[in-house]
Amino acid sequence: MTPETLLYRQVHPSWVRDGRITSQAFHPTSKDNNNLSVYDGDQITPEDAWNHYTNVLEFKSSGVVAVSVADCEDQELGVTSDPQPAFLEHVLIDFSGIATNRMKRVARRLSRLAGSRGWMYRVPVD
Amino acid sequence: MLDGESVAVAFLRPKLSGGRFESGGIPLDILKDMAVLQEMTVEVAKWRFLAENPERKRSPRGFMRDIELRLTGIDEGSAIPQITLFYPTDPLPPVPPREVRYLEQARDAIVATIGAAERNEPAASHLPERYLAYFDRFMRSLRHDECVELATPTHKAPVRLTRETRRKILLESSSLSEFTEQVILRGSIPEADQDRRSFELQLVHGRKLRGPIPDQHFDAILEAFRGYRENTRVVLQGVATYDRQERLLGVESVEHIGLLDPLDVPACLDEFRSLRDGWLNGEGRAPSPEGLDWLAESFERFYPEDPDVPLPYVYPTVEGGVQLEWSLGSKELSLEVTLADHSAEWYWADISADDEDERVLNLDAVADWEWIANEIRRLGETAA
Repeated sequence: MTPETLLYRQVHPSWVRDGRITSQAFHPTSKDNNNLSVYDGDQITPEDAWNHYTNVLEFKSSGVVAVSVADCEDQELGVTSDPQPAFLEHVLIDFSGIATNRMKRVARRLSRLAGSRGWMYRVPVD
Repeated sequence: MLDGESVAVAFLRPKLSGGRFESGGIPLDILKDMAVLQEMTVEVAKWRFLAENPERKRSPRGFMRDIELRLTGIDEGSAIPQITLFYPTDPLPPVPPREVRYLEQARDAIVATIGAAERNEPAASHLPERYLAYFDRFMRSLRHDECVELATPTHKAPVRLTRETRRKILLESSSLSEFTEQVILRGSIPEADQDRRSFELQLVHGRKLRGPIPDQHFDAILEAFRGYRENTRVVLQGVATYDRQERLLGVESVEHIGLLDPLDVPACLDEFRSLRDGWLNGEGRAPSPEGLDWLAESFERFYPEDPDVPLPYVYPTVEGGVQLEWSLGSKELSLEVTLADHSAEWYWADISADDEDERVLNLDAVADWEWIANEIRRLGETAA
């Protein structure tokens, strides 16, 4: 990965409203253990990432948005490759160094940056 | 019809409380609902007459013909309509006092029926079942947070008619297969049949209901139908029918219909009703229906319609709450609402600077809603 590498984040359908994603999409939940799961954009296309997420992992996603490795580093977030069996493109954005009271701000910044790039892949609407 | 001299007798002073009545005056919808009282009272009075005169097969010709219930005033300071009974004294002979007595007995039976329903006792013990159907039109537009308190000289302790007690009374009538209620529904229109003048309303959280297209709303319904694929939604106010299991069956009549803003908050909240625990790919609690009702109602009531206070984007949270978000220039604002205790965490950050602030709010307090609106205005001005 380079600073320009895009990291693809899947967005749940309930977290999209009129095309805008919630900042929660970039805020780790308690299950995430301070790590946000994303796809390494150097290894997979947004559409293939979406297909993997919805068909292999069988999760719901309205589409794919992206932040870059540099965006994360600007927020003092670590980015590490975390390949899994059948999920070699798996990457973790590490929030563990961020104080709880800063998490909201960081999530909003990432969400804004992702929003300004637009959808990398969006589920076709009937 | 009363043309000549008449006598006026105080008959009923229903006290209207809660919801719309707190801001003074009486909505005209309610007056329409109350008009049923004349028809119901006279019919029940005839029943009282026949019960006391078992030798009679029917009430005398002209019985009650010249008697009217009229709204003669509204008590100052609260929503208490004065309903007065008028009967003629000219031409002579005046209306026999017995008719007034039967009307008063009818009024007492109606009030006793409401009291029984309120206490979960059989309503039909005070009124034959066939008269319970009048409650289908009586106070049909009462809302969840509204009630009517009724007292009479023989029932000095007031009884309360609410949406729930009204349903209880109606469901005691075994001959009633359906009942109606005034409703506000949100959804889209996937089907409109111009030939049959009917349309289908797909509710935001799923079900489809059929209803008639009234002439005055023809264009609005067709516009919503054409916008179905773009997720155009409408809010419909009218009368809906329910079955005895209290399930929505259809739209009986449409009073108002209007296109909704794509960000309409109650419509967005309606979407969350279909979420189940685990909705976020195994994680995520479902928001409670009661909590969503409360937030939708509070938002409608307290959030201003003001171009300087834009509508928020609304999302469910993992914790079973709701998050409202606004993007104003470089500022990101959010209100994370906990549905269980009606508290909320307000937060804003300027993502291009180091400014940020947060505060815990109580959304049961009108002042806190006003504070939110003022903050949005303030932050919007500095963002412009």
